[in-house]
Amino acid sequence: MNNTSNNFKKILVPLDGSKYSEKALQRASEISIAFDSKIILLYVVEKSLPLNLLDRKEYLEILQKFGNKTLKKASDILLKKEIIAKTLLKEGNIVAEIEKVAKKENCDLIIVGNKGLGSVTRFLLGSVSNKLAQSSQCSLLIIK
Amino acid sequence: MTIKTKKILVPLDGSANSIRGLDMAIHIARESQGTITALSVKSVPGIYAIHPLGFLDFSSMTEVKKTLDSAKIRAAKKGIQLTGKALAGDPGFDIARFANNKKNGIDLVVIGARGRGSVKEIFLGSVSNYVLHKVKKPVLIVK
Repeated sequence: MNNTSNNFKKILVPLDGSKYSEKALQRASEISIAFDSKIILLYVVEKSLPLNLLDRKEYLEILQKFGNKTLKKASDILLKKEIIAKTLLKEGNIVAEIEKVAKKENCDLIIVGNKGLGSVTRFLLGSVSNKLAQSSQCSLLIIK
Repeated sequence: MTIKTKKILVPLDGSANSIRGLDMAIHIARESQGTITALSVKSVPGIYAIHPLGFLDFSSMTEVKKTLDSAKIRAAKKGIQLTGKALAGDPGFDIARFANNKKNGIDLVVIGARGRGSVKEIFLGSVSNYVLHKVKKPVLIVK
C-alpha cells in the first residue's frame, strides 16, 4: 500500500433505501477492499418535509425505524464481506447533514447513486446528488 | 477482488484541477491495474468547425498536445500506461460522447471539479456539470 496524499481513508455512503444507494454500497465495498479504507454509513431523516403538525411525530418515528432498518441491512451486507462499518442516523436537511458529517469525520470520498427515491427527476441527476456535486468539500463518486 | 475500473477516462484542460484529477486517476489505476485514457478537447466555437477558414485556428492544437505529453510523462513516472487523445470541438459534448461510446469501453470518468472557468469558482464548473449529467458511467469528481 503506498501512502499518497489522495488515499481514500474514509468513505461516506449516504443511504436512502433505494436500489441506487445499494449500487453505491456495492461499489463502496469494492473500493474499501482495494484501498483498505473505512466506511461510514449514513441515513438522514428528512425533517424539512411539509408535514401535518399532528402526524409529524408519528411520521418521523416511522422514518426513523425505516432508517434503522436500512442501516442494519447495509451493515449486514458489508459484514458478509468482512468490512466493519460505522453507522450514523441523523435528522435534518439531507444535503446539509451529509456535508456536516463529511467534514466532522474528515471523509475523503462520498459515494452516492445518481438518483434516489425522488421520482420526478428520474431522467436527470437526483436533486441530492446534484447539490452534493455543487457544494461538497471532498471528492464525490457518482454511481450510475 | 479487484475493482472493475480497467479503463479510466481523464479529461484534461491543462488547469491545476485537471492535473489533480489525473493524480487521482493514476492512484486508482495503480490499485486496479487499469489503464488511463486522457482526453484533451480544444474548445472550438461551433461556427469555426464549419467555417472555411476554421483550419487556421487548428494550428493551436499544439497546446493541447503539450498538455497530453506532460500527462503522459506524469503517468509514466508512476508506471501507468496512458493513451492520449486530442479532439477539437465543444468540451462537454465531446467528453460525454467519448465516454458513452461503447467502443472505448470506459469504466470510470475522473474529472476535476473546476477547470478554467474562473468566474464560477465557488460552483461546479460548467463542463464538469455537463459531463456529470450526460455520461452514463460512474463519475468521480475531484475537489
